[in-house]
Amino acid sequence: MDIYLDGMKAIAPELVLTALALVTLVADLLMRGRNSRFIGYITLAGLAVVGMMLAMRVGAEPQTVFGMVEVDSFGTFFKLFTVASVAVVTVFVLSDRSERKDGIGEYYFLLLGAAIGIFFMVSTNHLLLLMLGLELLSLASYSLAGFHKGERKSAEAAMKYVVFGGLSAGVMLYGISLLYGLTGTLELDVMATQAGNAMPFGLVPQLDHNVIPVAIAMVMVLAGFAYKMSVVPFHFWTPDVYEGAPTPVTTFLAVASKAAGVAALLRFLGALFMTEGVQPVVEWYGDRIGMLLAILAAVTMTLGNLSALRQSSLKRMLAYSSIAHAGYILIGVATLEPDGFSAAMYYMAAYYFMNLGAFGVLLYFESAVGSDRIEDLKGFGWKAPLISITMVAFLVSLTGLPPTVGFYGKYLLFKAGIDHGLSWLVFVAAINSVVSLFYYFSVAKALFLSEPAQRPALSQPLFAALLTGLGLLTIWFGLMPGSIEEFVQRCLLL
Amino acid sequence: MENILSLITFIPLVGMMVIICLPKQAIGLIKGVSLVATGIPLVLATQLYFAYDPAHGADGSYWAEEQFAWIKMINANYHVGVDGISLPLVWLTSLLLFLGVPASFGIKKSQKAYYALLLLLEVGIFGVFISLDYFLFYVFWEIMLLPMYFLIGIWGGPRREYAAIKFFLYTLAGSVLMLIAIIALRLDSGTFSIPLLVEMASNGTLTGASLPGGGELLGMSFSTWAFWFLFVGFAIKIPVFPFHTWLPDAHVQAPTPISVILAGILLKLGGYGLMRACFPILPGAFVENAYFLGILGAFSIVYGSFVALGQTDFKRMVAYSSVSHMGYVLLGTGALTVWGTDGAAMQMFAHGTSSAAMFMVVGVIYDRAHHRDLNGFGGLSQPMPVYWGLTTFCFFAALGLPTMSGFIAEALTLVGAFQSSDTRFQALVLFSVIGIVITAAFLLWAIQRVFLGPLNEKYKDYPDMNFREIFCMAPLLFLCLLLGVFPHLILDKMEPSITHLVNLLQSAAN
Repeated sequence: MDIYLDGMKAIAPELVLTALALVTLVADLLMRGRNSRFIGYITLAGLAVVGMMLAMRVGAEPQTVFGMVEVDSFGTFFKLFTVASVAVVTVFVLSDRSERKDGIGEYYFLLLGAAIGIFFMVSTNHLLLLMLGLELLSLASYSLAGFHKGERKSAEAAMKYVVFGGLSAGVMLYGISLLYGLTGTLELDVMATQAGNAMPFGLVPQLDHNVIPVAIAMVMVLAGFAYKMSVVPFHFWTPDVYEGAPTPVTTFLAVASKAAGVAALLRFLGALFMTEGVQPVVEWYGDRIGMLLAILAAVTMTLGNLSALRQSSLKRMLAYSSIAHAGYILIGVATLEPDGFSAAMYYMAAYYFMNLGAFGVLLYFESAVGSDRIEDLKGFGWKAPLISITMVAFLVSLTGLPPTVGFYGKYLLFKAGIDHGLSWLVFVAAINSVVSLFYYFSVAKALFLSEPAQRPALSQPLFAALLTGLGLLTIWFGLMPGSIEEFVQRCLLL
Repeated sequence: MENILSLITFIPLVGMMVIICLPKQAIGLIKGVSLVATGIPLVLATQLYFAYDPAHGADGSYWAEEQFAWIKMINANYHVGVDGISLPLVWLTSLLLFLGVPASFGIKKSQKAYYALLLLLEVGIFGVFISLDYFLFYVFWEIMLLPMYFLIGIWGGPRREYAAIKFFLYTLAGSVLMLIAIIALRLDSGTFSIPLLVEMASNGTLTGASLPGGGELLGMSFSTWAFWFLFVGFAIKIPVFPFHTWLPDAHVQAPTPISVILAGILLKLGGYGLMRACFPILPGAFVENAYFLGILGAFSIVYGSFVALGQTDFKRMVAYSSVSHMGYVLLGTGALTVWGTDGAAMQMFAHGTSSAAMFMVVGVIYDRAHHRDLNGFGGLSQPMPVYWGLTTFCFFAALGLPTMSGFIAEALTLVGAFQSSDTRFQALVLFSVIGIVITAAFLLWAIQRVFLGPLNEKYKDYPDMNFREIFCMAPLLFLCLLLGVFPHLILDKMEPSITHLVNLLQSAAN
């Protein structure tokens, strides 16, 4: 009984989050779909509570509860990330002028449901729970992508997402079942450290005799992560879903959902190849996987950037740019070393500020200009200077130029890459940043390099304040990156 | 003053903040703040210049150093200081930016944003010249790009969007390569400090041995690729053939004051970067390739002058003359002699004054005629005698007439290159002389086409240069003459630091 209670205490943030989701659902029911804004405020308040509970947990002793939930700082980092992203997305929903005022209570419920999925997905070494978390996240995301049922694009996005997501989940699940069959366990650290012939067998006997089935299983599991992170060749859904989904949902998919994929991948690889007592042959195999990831990284960033070059819609461009960023993050992942992982985590933090910011500005432009075409933004910078200058800060950061958080993130990734023999990949990434400048700055060009637009700006002071805050943080953490880096390293206890 | 370098660097930033807070209708106030925010650094830099004791540079130490920890996790410091190589350039920056403000009074579009960006640009330039920490250096290097992009892109000519992004892309392509090299150097040495890196290099401990695979990349050894990556980053800025193609576009499209700053200072950043943060850090690779660099320099001298000869656009002609003049910097340093390097450093200063004045000359006529076609003028000496006189003065400075600073710089460079222990440089010197002749030819021909011959009726009512225009140009021309007659005013300050640098490089050659 005590163990049970301790376990409940350890997953208190998850429980509060679940309760919060239920509260929003019931509240919406009681108010008969009226006054949905109020539910948004409940969500924000609840998220603040969950965030505080998580913040107090940073640096605490790691523990395993219920046999499969790892409560540790690594998970806490990504849970905080998720809470912070969902909070900002909630504000986006509240500020979205194209959204209905009433009858959208389930918007918040779905967002919170997705967050619960992420919470479990990022805090387990057990493949079954990982799969469950991932599916919960996916189901909520499908509904969110199709939230504007009446709109063709939104419905199409949801449909594509379901088909592609279902396929990827199936492939991943099949990979997991193969791994289970081969090793006799679903626990990753056991798989990596088991040396003898007793049940469960672990990976060692398989790698000693017959690598092919393990390779097939491994690639299938990786496909599931690649799909969540939108890594080539599992990225096909990204542009269409990002474009069709309501912009706040796109933001959620691009930031929180992608981070969940990164977190799960880091934990998967960490538990499998970097735990204490890992068998030499498993470690050797890890290097092969690292090489595969490095190649995927190179292809992903190049393809993402080249496709982004041709986009005329800002939203689609940001979708392709998020594919390219998945490629950059993989540099850190592919090193399979703690400093590479911490670089990837730092980059996720950087990604949080600059992408939430960029999508927020996109949302503002959609309301103010009524279009997401870059061409239609011509000269708008002179009409809405504050938001547009903030946008330039985000674009500079996305390109990876100082003095912004994106530059420092890229610096850490490059450093980790060069330090672990991936100089060629860093070279590819560097060339890619130059390419990305061209399309990122097509936005700056449209905003400022044309004569002032006729259309008046839209006054959304609170929303503008949020975006400006994100912009200032983007620059501040570029000049003073130490605090985030220290935080990341405290959280990365593999 | 203890923090004089930080003051010089960040006073323009304060000015920028003040301007941002001012209402955009308060144009007089905005201009006043800009003058003050560029004027104070000029005063401070002048004071620093005269206070500087050149003997200080003889052992490679720095003046007015400041150092404190910045990003502790990666051991990046805020470490600044000047020596005989950077100090004249710091002073030149403060002068040109100060003159750039009144030179911009003709600009009427979005003036608040213009002056704010101009001041931000100044912060970046100062930062690069004073940084002694490679991370800090890189941050300032990149900070410059953004204001420059907007200054060309918003206030430029008809093809400004193309020119602005081309400038940005070229420079960024160079600087990401630099970044890779900087990170590799950091991983190998454990430090970003430029003086420390130079010291390690001279001890032969900077070999890439602590990098995986000995630091090999794309089949090249560590020191080779690191050298070329850094070199390309700086060479694009100089610009050396074949990396120069962004320059004519950027110059032609940029508004006059921005062209002045671009030619006067931004090009110097490349040459300065090579002397400060490339050659002495990888001296082995530099010595191996010195002759090739000499060829690039000599070829740029001749190529730039020939292309300038063929231009009909006044500004394009001046832009290509920069390619030609900046070739001396590479030729002089490549020769590995004290005279050659002295000449290169002096050429940077001399070109900084003369090319800045030349772009002002172009600006004066463009403001009146609204075109720059060299063949469309004629006889302008009659309505504008002062303009004619100053232009002739300026062009003589640029073509290296004796008693002008350009003459001293070019003569030093060529004599220095001739003395080089690598006798192949003598051939390069002979080849470069072609460039001098052609430079004289296109400049004199331009004077003939613009000022002599029958007066075009359209231009007979043009007013001569006004006080503001003369005020901006006169100090630069005065400097050309002053340093041509008394070159020791600047050479004495530079000499010990340059000698130290050349000794460092020569010891790698032996």
